[in-house]
Amino acid sequence: MAEIPSILVLEPAAEQSQRRTAGIMVKKGPQLDLESLKAHLREIRQHSRDNHISLLEELKRNLDQYAGVKLAIATDAKQAASYIKQTAEGTDLASINKSSVVINELRPELQASGFKTYIRYFTEFKNFEKFEKKVEDYWALPGMHERGLVESFDVRKTVTRLRSSEVRDFVAILGVNAVSAEDGSVFFLQHMTNISKDLEQAKKIILVVSLEKVVKDRGAALFQTRCMGIFGLESILLDLGPKEVEQYDFDSLPTLSGDQGRELHILILDNGRKGLLKDGYKDLFLCLDCRACARQCPIGLHLLANKGMVYSPKNYLLGFLQGWLPPAEACVHCGRCQVECPVEIDIPTLLWKGQFEYYARHGRGLRKRLLDNPELLAKLGSWTAPLANWAKDRVIFKLIMQVVAGIHRQARLPTFHRQTLRKWAKGGRRG
Amino acid sequence: MVERIVYYAGCFANYYDPQIGKALIEVMRQNGIEALIPEQKCCGMPMMANGNVKGAAKNFNYNVKLLSRAASPGYDIITTCPSGNLMFRKEGLAFFDSEEARFVSGHIYDAGEYLLRLHHQGRLDTNFREIPLKVFYHNPCHLKVQNITKEPVALLKLIPGLVVSKVNTNCCGMGGSYGMKAVNYDLSVQIAQKVWEDVKAAEVDRIVTECGGCKLQLEAGTGINAVHPIVLLNEAYRSS
Ligand code: SF4
Ligand code: SF4
Repeated sequence: MAEIPSILVLEPAAEQSQRRTAGIMVKKGPQLDLESLKAHLREIRQHSRDNHISLLEELKRNLDQYAGVKLAIATDAKQAASYIKQTAEGTDLASINKSSVVINELRPELQASGFKTYIRYFTEFKNFEKFEKKVEDYWALPGMHERGLVESFDVRKTVTRLRSSEVRDFVAILGVNAVSAEDGSVFFLQHMTNISKDLEQAKKIILVVSLEKVVKDRGAALFQTRCMGIFGLESILLDLGPKEVEQYDFDSLPTLSGDQGRELHILILDNGRKGLLKDGYKDLFLCLDCRACARQCPIGLHLLANKGMVYSPKNYLLGFLQGWLPPAEACVHCGRCQVECPVEIDIPTLLWKGQFEYYARHGRGLRKRLLDNPELLAKLGSWTAPLANWAKDRVIFKLIMQVVAGIHRQARLPTFHRQTLRKWAKGGRRG
Repeated sequence: MVERIVYYAGCFANYYDPQIGKALIEVMRQNGIEALIPEQKCCGMPMMANGNVKGAAKNFNYNVKLLSRAASPGYDIITTCPSGNLMFRKEGLAFFDSEEARFVSGHIYDAGEYLLRLHHQGRLDTNFREIPLKVFYHNPCHLKVQNITKEPVALLKLIPGLVVSKVNTNCCGMGGSYGMKAVNYDLSVQIAQKVWEDVKAAEVDRIVTECGGCKLQLEAGTGINAVHPIVLLNEAYRSS
């Protein structure tokens, strides 16, 4: 038995290498289309959701056989952070990846417990020219829609041992894309070289597995990670680019002599996920974090800019359900987040559900109650038109509406008609 | 037997822009179809958005009862309101399920979707007069998410002289009354910016969109008049 389970890192395989790898995942022919990919992915995700307890047991049993791995289970982010703190043994420098579980759920707790966290992905942009080729390759991948899908992502690096001559004094905290319960192998997708470097350099490696990332076997884990690339391809654009604040030069840290104290930990994180299964949000378990939903969401980019979170409508909802975000108040309810979800999670309905439950528990503010029944306001407007039309354009009325009902004074309000359609229709349809 | 449809107008066509409802009735009549208008209330989606679940349930149940009764002889239910359509097809059904709700969900069609189907069956009167207009078509999110994006454009293209110079499927940020609220106003305007710029760049005579909220938002930022496609179709029938 090997010392640690294999850690496999996938990268985009652009034009030159596509030919080489073509046909591994999707054979040319009738099954080449997006729909069959999605169907297979849904099967994998549903299996994970419906068997998460037995899959976790199986994973634990299999990981036990690797002497070089320490397994931990955390019920919430606080517990996870304190485990990491203990593991770090005095180091407070942490490299984290761009996974939503690490950034959204763990980072606040890690920082609260004294860690300095850096997203190495962004640091990589410091030598942007060096990566220009890589980025170019990335965009050379065919677009997701109306394209003939070819093999796009492939395993580029496999780590099978802890030994390395490059070890430095920091902790790497990496959210994984998938773990196989059958043999414990771990899968990552990387766009830059951040993950490979962390696996090579960090003194302590902590692989964070949110409960839903455990899948049945290696084949399923590989497929899921590829899908993360395929369906997430276009959402990378959402926050691609250098970020000054996140930068830290891990490469320039001195290398430690030998492998002393090098450790690999697998940290399974629940953080409210089991509860979601019971409370009617079980489909959130199907999510693979591809963020195809984020690309569709009109509010995402604006929210993302000031929250520093990995935004997606799913994360917006999950954040509320986990208690660290308000009840998706900024959602326009446009319904777009469902359009491209490869596993067809009905996020729009779950967003409504979350809000309703919140209001049922906490009540609604006065403004919400004033706008309770928009049709009543419309009726009032029609009865009193044209007076209502005159009033709605007056500054004083606009100010009153802003203060009392929360309607912005610059908002354009519709024009009322004394004769409504139904009145007109009833009255012999003159007009 | 006279062919009939049941018309669900929604608040916008009833209170704010009755022109839309009149156009629907006249377009149907032009095609030998009588539009029945049963009693109806607001679909309930704006209430859901204010967290008034009870109110939304009451309206939804009232509507599905009357609509299903009116449509029971086998008539289709047609609406000119994208949000009403989405509410009956999916969003409301998820929370206020009933046999009547499922009936309505299975029988309701967007007006454009319905008319294009008539056209494909060779039953749409296409004797339109020329309307020399350059238009910008904005596809409301609530139609986009039902995969109704191509139908309205195909229909508009039947009007001689009318040129659809740009089709937009991005969100305009209005979301019913969302963009009117002071807390959302700035975000709503930020989202709209891209669409406003696209409209201005397209140098069109008119904007065409089905949604009342989108209409207000697009007019506010561009100063260009926005109409429902059914109104243009009706114009093209008149004096043809
Ligand atoms: S429904 Fe809400 S979360 Fe979903 S895409 Fe629209 S604004 Fe975003
Ligand atoms: S909910 Fe969003 S992130 Fe999750 S699978 Fe669907 S599209 Fe991807």
